[in-house]
Amino acid sequence: MSVGSQPSPKLVPRVVDGEAVVITHEDVDRAHDRVRVSAARARRGFSSRAKLLWLLVGPGVLVMLGENDGPSMLSYAATGAKFGIGFFLPFVALTFGMAIVVQEMTVRLGAATHRGHAELIFERFGPFWGWFSMIDLGIGNFLTLITEFIAIRAGLGFFGVSPWIAILIALVILYGALVSHRYWTWERITLAAAAFNLIFIPVALMTRPSWHSVGRAFVTWQPLPGFNKDTLLIVLADIGATVTPWMLFFQQSATVDKGMTTKDIRFGRIDTVLGAALATAAAVATILATAPLFAHQMTADTFQAAEFAQALQPLIGRFGASLFALGMVEAGIVASITISAASAYAFGEVTHTPHSLNLPLGQGKAFYSVLTLCALAAAAIVLIPGLPLVYVVLVVNVVAVLAMPPALVFLFMLVNDQEIMGDLVSPRWANGLATAVVFILTAAGVLFGISIIAPNTFAALGGK
Amino acid sequence: MTPKGQPPVLISSADEKLALSSLEHDQLVHAKKHFIPRRHLKGPELLVLWALRTYLLFMMAVVVYQVWIAAH
Repeated sequence: MSVGSQPSPKLVPRVVDGEAVVITHEDVDRAHDRVRVSAARARRGFSSRAKLLWLLVGPGVLVMLGENDGPSMLSYAATGAKFGIGFFLPFVALTFGMAIVVQEMTVRLGAATHRGHAELIFERFGPFWGWFSMIDLGIGNFLTLITEFIAIRAGLGFFGVSPWIAILIALVILYGALVSHRYWTWERITLAAAAFNLIFIPVALMTRPSWHSVGRAFVTWQPLPGFNKDTLLIVLADIGATVTPWMLFFQQSATVDKGMTTKDIRFGRIDTVLGAALATAAAVATILATAPLFAHQMTADTFQAAEFAQALQPLIGRFGASLFALGMVEAGIVASITISAASAYAFGEVTHTPHSLNLPLGQGKAFYSVLTLCALAAAAIVLIPGLPLVYVVLVVNVVAVLAMPPALVFLFMLVNDQEIMGDLVSPRWANGLATAVVFILTAAGVLFGISIIAPNTFAALGGK
Repeated sequence: MTPKGQPPVLISSADEKLALSSLEHDQLVHAKKHFIPRRHLKGPELLVLWALRTYLLFMMAVVVYQVWIAAH
């Protein structure tokens, strides 16, 4: 903690540029983090660069591995089980490419304005549009949080842990990350938990995938899946597994809370790309892990999180299946931590109440209460017996894809706003890529709508 | 941003100096009391925003319909 040994008798505003400024505990904690960054930046050599990367890495890796959450890993598992090794391997890598394009913008916005995403939307476009985007975020985040606790419950259920104990374990870990009331400590604890997302890689190796088929799939995008409603749902679910509105809000707010400035944007980009690379590896590994179910003609239509682990047990043994179930637990826990934080940041930004993981409990009551209540409410819903939670899991990624185009348009308008971004406005090529992402997401949503309203359309086009 | 009615956590003068010297002025919590001026949205921008809002509301109705079908 950074409160020094010689406290001033009372808070006396300092005068900076003719204006009285009160320094808060949050400022001081952030300043201590910045001193370490400045010290690393001042030195030369590989080890100093590595230290700087270590200090600045965080929001990008967290957002990408956080998005490899319960429903996302379930989507990848269903992809492998339904389609095997083929088109979806490069497709998933492409979706993470889209995520990089979008998330990089939030790094620039956060570093240039030092404001969170919700705050910028409210202040720049007014409360009318601000509340629309907050409603989208609130509904999406809450539904997603429910699915995270479903994944945790199902994953620990594989080991015979009762739902109550499973949810309690998840909540203890969530609060354990918060107890220091320090952004840096919270970030490092969550990063350590997120590293377990890579547990899917050894599971994939245990299934002894055909590397020739994997290489061929990445080069040729073959074999192609049939053009039908099931394929479209998986396409939508896999897109929703990599780009969602909470990611925009989380990474920008975390960039601001971490204290990143325009000097750190390059490392912010590296952080984002590194996160995407790790998340792609875990996602591809999950598809490879469940691909043997496709080869063995096992239908995965009704599988839930831990049922994939049970189905894989005869193929990779109890140890491999346990790793898979633990991966589901990790995916749920890390996402519940990051999504709760995203909700609390957005609430604080909109209500202009203190919103930082550097806040002492007494000063951040509203922030920590929102964070806690979101998680508790979602956890409580999962524990209600007999609730048809399967529908939440089915629609959550679809809802994320549908809510993304409006969220992205706000992001583009902000990141191209010269008044707040100055020289850091998006270059043309980035705008072109981002526009392509909006069109792809909107087209996917429209196709999904057609498949529901007029299912025979696909049959007319040659599909099923 | 110390909430109203909360006793402020005392900050040493050394920490105050550290915060002022190592943070950019815009990074200070104090600076966030100043709102960024509102931007006037132009016609085409409003058109896109309303079009996407309509799209989202319509698609959400489709999702609810799909869940209803699945449930029955």
